[in-house]
Formats: sequence, structure tokens, C-alpha cells
Amino acid sequence: MSISVLVLGAPFENQACYTAYRYVQAALELGQSIHRVFFYQAGVHSASRLACPPRDEFDLYRAWQTLKTEHDLDLIVCIAAAARRGVIDPAEAKRHNKATFNLAEGFELSGLGQLIEALTLSDQLLTFGE
Amino acid sequence: MHDSQRKKLLIVLTKAPYGSSAIQEALDIVLAAGTFDQDVSLLITLDACYLLLPSQEPGLIQQKNSAKILNALPIYGIEKIFVNGKDATRRGLKSETISLPAHFMNQTEIADLYAQADTVFRF
Repeated sequence: MSISVLVLGAPFENQACYTAYRYVQAALELGQSIHRVFFYQAGVHSASRLACPPRDEFDLYRAWQTLKTEHDLDLIVCIAAAARRGVIDPAEAKRHNKATFNLAEGFELSGLGQLIEALTLSDQLLTFGE
Repeated sequence: MHDSQRKKLLIVLTKAPYGSSAIQEALDIVLAAGTFDQDVSLLITLDACYLLLPSQEPGLIQQKNSAKILNALPIYGIEKIFVNGKDATRRGLKSETISLPAHFMNQTEIADLYAQADTVFRF
């Protein structure tokens, strides 16, 4: 079975993105196929490489990247939702004439079409919202 | 996209317009799903019913008019727009005076709508 996941909550504001991470990790451990993880609304903050959680707290940002490295996950961040919230990659930084970018390695900016494609190609799509 | 990839998608709006970006970003998904030729139904519930008020002027608070996007949905091939009749009535809205022709559904019709959907997004 192929599963896709939609993440709407921001890290530390909301339990949803942590639960989404735990879900994806558990699914992969059980040998399930995760087609795509799509970050939308405040969920895009999960992809900031500038977030600095305290050393004694769980680093959800790094955790997603580790999952990506271990399982070749497709981590897609909605480009419009991200740009509005200040999460941009080098190309967007150039396009919007910004001095720097902050999209973390392992995440990719793309359009809502990737979410629609994910729901058409997956058997299940789970939303982790508020 | 092949026919086998066409899914019945139900998008449920629950939040008040302009109180957050939820409605605006939900309508973006509705438009994207329409563009990719999905079978989209939109259900307006709870405080999202205020989206149906005619003569909105969100420009006064520097917001884009989400109701205009809602009214333009049929142009994008999205014609299945429904309202939770109970929620709308509680908020003083009548089907004759809302800004677009949308069917007020009862609880049984809403249950059927959910039952028929392959995927439900709730914003």
C-alpha cells in the first residue's frame, strides 16, 4: 500500500507535525511505502534550516532530514505557502531579490500539483493538521 | 491524467474567512484540484459560512476577497459547492440571500457526501 502525508502544523506550535513524523517513521519501519510528504500552511516551517531548537529538545528538523537520508523520502514543501512564510530556496531568493535562503537540505519546493498528484497515486492520504 | 487517477475529493471549510489564511489556502487546493481534473466537492461549514455573505469588503483590512474566488469556481469547472444548512441558518444566512447558488445540505446529505469521497481535506 502506498501512503502520502499532508503536514499542516508548525513545529513547536503544534503537535501535528511531530505526530506526522512519528507516523511516517513507524510506517517505514513496518515496510510501508510512503509516496510523498507534503508540507502546507504553517507546516512549511518544518523545512527551515535556520531553526535552532535547544540542545536538550528533540530536533524535528534534523529528524525529517535523517528519515530522508535513510529512506529516500520525497519531502515537498508548497512553494507559495513557503514563500509567504519566509521559507525559500536559492532560486526563490534570487527571484524575490532576497540576500539569502533557508530551505533545509532534503526538502524541495514545488506546487500544489504535487499534492494532487500524491492523492491520485496513493492508496491513502493522511492529513496531520491541528 | 488517466481516468483511473481521477479521485473524488471533498474539501471542507470550517474556519471564518480573514481570521486566518486557512480559507485562502484551502481554496488554492480547490483550484489546483480543479486544474488537475479531479472530481472536487466543496462543503462550507461552521464559521466558513460567513464566506457566503454578499457585499464583503475585505480590502478595508488589506485582505483579498476570498468570496470572489468562491464565486469564480464554476469557471474552473468546480460546480459542486454545498453548505451545511444547519451551520448557515444558525448564523442568520438564508439560501436566497447568499452570494452564490449553493445547495443547503441536511445532515443525511452531508453524511452521504463524506461516504462517497476518496479523500477529505478539512481546513
